[in-house]
Amino acid sequence: MRKYLRNLAAAAVVLMITGALPAWAHAVILSANPTADQQVAPGELAIRIEFNARIDKERSRLQVTAPTGEKANVSIEPAGEPNVIAGTTAVLTPGAYMLRWQVLAIDGHITRGDIPFTVGN
Amino acid sequence: MDLLLDIFGFASVLLSGLVRTAQCLTLGGIAFLAFIAVPLGHGASDSVRLAPRTIQLTRVFVWALLVSVSILLAMHVTILAGTAEITIADALGGDFARAQMVRIVGAVLMLALLYGKSPSVPLLLALGLVDLGAGVAISHAAARVEDRGLLIGITALHHIGAAIWIGGLPCLLSAMRRLPAGEMRSRVGSRYSTLSMISVAAIAFSGIGMLVHYVGSFPALYGTAYGMMLATKTILFFGLLALGYGNFRVVRALAGNPAGSNLRLRRFAEVELGVGITIFFVAASMTSLPPAIDLPRDRVTLTEIAERLVPKWPALSSPSRESLAFYEEQKLLAEEKAEHKPATLQAYVPGSGAPLPRNAHDIAWSEYNHHWAGMIVLIMSILVFLEKTGKAPWARHWPLLLVVLAAFLFMRSEAEAWPIGTLTLAESLRDPEFIQHKAFMILITSFAVFEWSVRNQVMRSGWAKYVFPLLCALGGMMLLTHSHSIANVKELLLIEMTHMPLAVFAIWSGWTRWLELRLDGRAQVIAGWLWPTFFCLTAVTLLLYREI
Repeated sequence: MRKYLRNLAAAAVVLMITGALPAWAHAVILSANPTADQQVAPGELAIRIEFNARIDKERSRLQVTAPTGEKANVSIEPAGEPNVIAGTTAVLTPGAYMLRWQVLAIDGHITRGDIPFTVGN
Repeated sequence: MDLLLDIFGFASVLLSGLVRTAQCLTLGGIAFLAFIAVPLGHGASDSVRLAPRTIQLTRVFVWALLVSVSILLAMHVTILAGTAEITIADALGGDFARAQMVRIVGAVLMLALLYGKSPSVPLLLALGLVDLGAGVAISHAAARVEDRGLLIGITALHHIGAAIWIGGLPCLLSAMRRLPAGEMRSRVGSRYSTLSMISVAAIAFSGIGMLVHYVGSFPALYGTAYGMMLATKTILFFGLLALGYGNFRVVRALAGNPAGSNLRLRRFAEVELGVGITIFFVAASMTSLPPAIDLPRDRVTLTEIAERLVPKWPALSSPSRESLAFYEEQKLLAEEKAEHKPATLQAYVPGSGAPLPRNAHDIAWSEYNHHWAGMIVLIMSILVFLEKTGKAPWARHWPLLLVVLAAFLFMRSEAEAWPIGTLTLAESLRDPEFIQHKAFMILITSFAVFEWSVRNQVMRSGWAKYVFPLLCALGGMMLLTHSHSIANVKELLLIEMTHMPLAVFAIWSGWTRWLELRLDGRAQVIAGWLWPTFFCLTAVTLLLYREI
């Protein structure tokens, strides 16, 4: 009985710890181009996302998914403001696109999100 | 990998809490060694020398620091490499990873010194400062765009204050327990008290600085998750100050009468340590939230808070299960199926990531659950009070009401899932929340039986009586780091607002019960009446719970 109760105490601690389910987000967007649901013209798209924290650009990612489902990684420009990631990509086919970003803040938090936009005339 | 990232988000909060705790205890141990144990031990007899025991304790804390930082680093690098599609070597090159590697090397060197014959205190202090610096280099302050230098300084001051005050408590407790009544014990208490007062001043000063830079306004304090967490942390801090003041008075009394009892000081220090660790975990969860000043939109307004706090008679009748959004949508899908005969669809697929549909009846269902839970806790509190009068020995069976509570929640927590919903047990098990809720309820039942066994002398082990208060305090701590996943941010905040007092009451209920078990005399009587009062306040909060 004593052994059972001791194990039970340990199990409770583990379950209490693993039982909480937070939805964490740290780096938040202050401004972005394109903005969510924005319509842009076909051609070169200059992507620029400003965050509230300094970003490790080398370890962050930008990816654009075309209406065809094709995914293209966008190179992040190493220079510029420490809290901004920027890059350029070609969006030629009209339709619905998705810009996925993932950033590593200097304090170690990994955050990701999606910005849907459309390409049209 | 997306799921891994979600799990990592939560696990990193817990690990960060462990790292913060281990760091504070390590730095506190080194500070205790440098400013109390070594200076006061010069010329003292072996029986009152504190340094050997302080070194032993500090070794344990450094090991904890080394292990927790290593796990956090390994997790971080694995997840970063996996999600950003880079090599492990590239992932190790980031500022966060490099700072953690510095901490690992620092901890190894500290251990090498601490296992040596006579550790160099200046070297230990230097390594402690390296760890502090590496920790601050990957804090919120270092990631800020503006006022970075100032914020790094303020954060460092905050961490030093917490380390000396809370981190030094295990060494103080050990000294107070081991030292015989007399001059040495009194001097240790006085020296620690002075250091603590300086630390409290440092914490308060830097805390105000952080409040100005990370929150910035009163609406941001009550209108954002960060602000609400900070307010809760501050409330817990004031509780610590009250305990610290109690200890200050004991230390002063001991200075006048070195042979006096230090029992109250030791017991208060135990609670200070427990609440202090809770604050470290709250701080760790706050570092994962964007500072309030960065979220000027979608804040909760005072009017919305006032509307939510208007007392309403508890809803003691439940809406029918069929009126809930899940069943309404299920009905619609069934009608569509009858018309078009498409493949079988379900309104909600557990574990798919899509949120459960919700309507006004769902809110009424949830409020009903909270209100009946409040009624049961209220009855339990009354029984505890009755038991304390000594005139109603039968009231000692109050823990059995927890079984009733667990059974009630087991049946009603997920209306769409097993056992009362239409989803089968296998389907329900795909939802992690379902598993957690049901597991919690089984454990509530087990612990009800546990506490009942202690109260009815079925269990007589010394440790057994501490399980209930410790789990109560731990449950409160976990509730503080818990966030409800609701898409609407305002709804999330308003629900958080009611859960934070529940967490604080649970924490203080647990620790006052601890004091009742560990103290004697008038203080024990006061603590004995305080913990059921916190139980009662929990019941009232549950009874007034509203989601609309």
